[in-house]
This record gives sequence, structure tokens and C-alpha cells, in this order.
Amino acid sequence: MVRNIQDAKRGFMRESTVMKIHYATGLAALFTVAVHIMMRLIMPFSMSLEYENVVANYQNVLYALLLESILVLISIHGFNGLRVMLLELRQDAMWEKFVFLFTLAAMLVVIGYGTRTIIIVNGLNL
Amino acid sequence: MKVFRDTQNSQDRTNREGLKGWLNPTHYGWERLSYWLMRLTGLFLLVYFVGHVYETSNLVGGVNAWNSMLELTQTTWGHIFLILVIGTSTFHSINGIRLIFAETARGLGKPGRPDYPYEAVSLNNIQRSGIWVALILAAAAMLYGSSILFGGE
Repeated sequence: MVRNIQDAKRGFMRESTVMKIHYATGLAALFTVAVHIMMRLIMPFSMSLEYENVVANYQNVLYALLLESILVLISIHGFNGLRVMLLELRQDAMWEKFVFLFTLAAMLVVIGYGTRTIIIVNGLNL
Repeated sequence: MKVFRDTQNSQDRTNREGLKGWLNPTHYGWERLSYWLMRLTGLFLLVYFVGHVYETSNLVGGVNAWNSMLELTQTTWGHIFLILVIGTSTFHSINGIRLIFAETARGLGKPGRPDYPYEAVSLNNIQRSGIWVALILAAAAMLYGSSILFGGE
């Protein structure tokens, strides 16, 4: 039975470690997203969004890896940020546990769904 | 230890304004505005990110599905939304870097004896200039984004 916040945190990662991961994923996402945007600007913007061009991007293994990195980095950073905000609003053991599980589940769903798109468009049909 | 836990538990249940307090950007200066904007832009970008992951999944449906999705976004309002994404992501990034510096105690000033009028050395011009730089760069990025999206390229 979880009795307070200290007990709820026992067994999870330290909050200071989680925040280091938060900052590291934020910085890494900044650079990977910058490359992603530059890929849209190496030709006229509307042309870069044409189906054939986007599929060609996805079928480039390096670019597919970049997209997967962005997906994982922003999912971790974004859903941890949401967790932090929700814990600022209210603090008790049950709420903290619920928020942790909810954000973890949402993060995994988004990563799974995005990875599915990358794999299928890349040509490695599941 | 027990006394500490009891005290903390009682603090957990009181002295909180909830969503109303979180949404109030006033009375606390520029740092509070920065705190408020950081969270609002973060939430907005998370919603956009999830939408973007869903939007790009239309690629799986073939060229027709992709083009009909593009028709929804390649409108004036779609472009205005994208310009907002550019501005919020720039502010969130630059202000995030400022916060990493603050977390690692860079640019906070040296601690000193608290004398009247009790101005915290951590809330100094170096930190505040980071907020201004984030706002100015966000505006510049939005202008550049507008020129690309509405420039007809």
C-alpha cells in the first residue's frame, strides 16, 4: 500500500535523473528537428510535401532513422513535460502514480503508431 | 522522519490554487510570464506533435489519402497555424536553453546576504535578457516562416 509520495517514488527513477533526461532529450530534439525542417527547405516548400518526395525521404534509411529519433525524443520530452505540469497542479501518491502510468502509456502509443508509419512507408511491411 | 512526512502531507492537501493559479500569469514579473509561456507552448507543441504523427500516417493510405490531408493543411488558416507552431517551438527551445543554464547555476549571480529591498540575485538582467531573446527570436522565426508559407514558393 502506497502511503505517501516518498513511498510512491521508491523503485522509480530519481526525479533529478528524469529531469536530466528531459533536458538531454530537449536539446537532442532541437538538433534533429532542425535537420528535419532543413530537409523541407532544400526545395520549394510545397514541392517538398509532394507524395513522391515525402515517400522518397522515408525510404532513405538515414532519414527514417532521423524520423524515428525525433519521434522517440519528442515523445519522451513532451510526455514527461506533461507529467511535470500535472504534478504541479496536484500532489498525492495516487495522483502521481496515475499521471506516471497515463503519460507512459500515451508515450508508448504515440511511439508505436509513429514507428508503424515509418516502417510501412519505408517498405518493410509488417 | 514521521513528523517531516506528516507536515509534508498536510502541505500537500492545502495551499494550492490548482488550475486557476497555474493559469494566472500576473503579479510575479517576467519570470512568471516565462514560466506560463513555457508551459502553454509545451502543451500546444505536444498537441501539435501528436496531430503531426497522425497526419503523416496518411502516407500509408497512398497518394490520394496524402493529398486530401494536404488540402486540409494547405490553406490560409493551416499556414497561420504552422506559423504559430514555428513561433512557439522557437520560444520553447530558446527559453528551455535558458532554463538549462539556470538549472546548472550559470548566470544566476553570487549568493549574498539578504538586505533590503530583498531583491533575489538569481532574478537578474542576464536571466531576463534570455526571456527577451526567446521572444525576439520567436517573432523573427514567425516572420521568416510567413515569408516561406505565404511567399508562394
